[in-house]
Amino acid sequence: MNATISFDSVLHVVLALVGVAVFVGLNGLLLVYAERKVAGFIQRRPGPYEVGPQGILQAVADALKLIGKQLVRPDRADPLLFWMAPVLAFFPVLLLFLPLPFSPLLTGWDVNLGLLLILAFAGFNVLALLLAGWGSNNKYGLLGAARAVAQSVAYEIPLLLAVLAIAFQEGTLSLSSIVATQGSMPWQWNIAVQPLAFLIFLISALGETNRAPFDLPEAESELTAGFHTEYSGMGFGMFFLAEYANMIVACSVCTVLFLGGWKGPFLDGAWWFLAKVYALLLAMMWFRWTFPRVRFDQLLNLNWRWLLPLGVLNLLATAFVMKL
Amino acid sequence: METPAILAFGFYFLVIVVGCFMAVGSASLVRALVGLVATLLGVAGMYLLLNAPFMAFMQILIYVGAICVLIFFALMLARADADGDEADPAPAPRVFKGVLAAMLPGALLAPILLLHPTASHLLPPDVPLADLGRRLMEDYVLPFELISVVLLISMAGAVLLVWERRDK
Repeated sequence: MNATISFDSVLHVVLALVGVAVFVGLNGLLLVYAERKVAGFIQRRPGPYEVGPQGILQAVADALKLIGKQLVRPDRADPLLFWMAPVLAFFPVLLLFLPLPFSPLLTGWDVNLGLLLILAFAGFNVLALLLAGWGSNNKYGLLGAARAVAQSVAYEIPLLLAVLAIAFQEGTLSLSSIVATQGSMPWQWNIAVQPLAFLIFLISALGETNRAPFDLPEAESELTAGFHTEYSGMGFGMFFLAEYANMIVACSVCTVLFLGGWKGPFLDGAWWFLAKVYALLLAMMWFRWTFPRVRFDQLLNLNWRWLLPLGVLNLLATAFVMKL
Repeated sequence: METPAILAFGFYFLVIVVGCFMAVGSASLVRALVGLVATLLGVAGMYLLLNAPFMAFMQILIYVGAICVLIFFALMLARADADGDEADPAPAPRVFKGVLAAMLPGALLAPILLLHPTASHLLPPDVPLADLGRRLMEDYVLPFELISVVLLISMAGAVLLVWERRDK
């Protein structure tokens, strides 16, 4: 990273952030629609169908509804914490997109500690969940927040171990150099060398983004909506966008670390990156509508008994091979 | 270069000071924690200003992402209401002692800094991550390992405290 804070670089980052905000907003619409359609097809029903051809405008209508709705704060909820939570959930996520190398030329901010930046600012999501759950003065919210802590603290460790294995192997924390060291063909990607790390990363990423089958903090059948039970309108909308944005970031990081980023068998470019990211997102949706939600003890046992030891072993093996 | 850096310094300073007062002054413990988070973020900003982005990101990753979340977990178990016994305003002598204790590190460090001023660079040097790691594992390996021993002892102490409770 360069020390000089020049006007150009600031302008560059600001423009990148605006671009990211547009990207996240459009993807929010797209992914909501995709998720509802995928859910529909998996359950042998058409999904959204009425608004526009094939229900394609359903997400837009929902977004307009969310923006138009009144913001309600429950009685005796802490106003500062209650309103800070959705803001804290959404805005740090935009930063996570900055170091992602969409293509060799299309990177918001090519910082050599990109991986660390993503991991650091991803932690804000948990904090936002906690504040939301606590600040809304609601038992479901509090239970959701309590689950979110235990889950995210637990799943962060195997996630870091899997990421560390790749960082060890590549000797860098810069996302663009990690892509650069991988080849174009699928067997030259890191997934071929580190299949276990890929699996650990994928499972932990599901846990970190609170996606089913690990969506215990919002478990709608037990906790109404968990931490965001009391949020209406855009309060809820921001959590929702943040969740989808986090999914995109998790899939993008997975693509960069394990699937060769923007490289493909022919015509390298941003389309390969996006194709891989959307394939992973589709897999995440597929998981959600295929597996039932795990129980809390199953969630923690899976993490502490399987992912963590396997992650440590994988890291040790990587270090050993690297030293040879 | 000069003006943006001073502006950034002022901003981080403000964030740290406001966060500090929120951390010690709020009646609600969760709000106090938010103040602590603000302070830690401000310190991370200072690291960025010192051209130490690795320290800044680590500060956020460890303190904000892990330690504060764990503190929150403890608060949640303790049912930290805003109208508990501890929420009453502290008596004046205690406030005085608190301020005195808060100023002690500054009072101890300031003479040393004034007597031995470090060379000030116009631009902070850029330390590559590999150098940082090498220095930690070669020149400063003993302090580095001692820190881990301190952490280990504190963890063992925490476990010990809990075991004693369980026996009763």
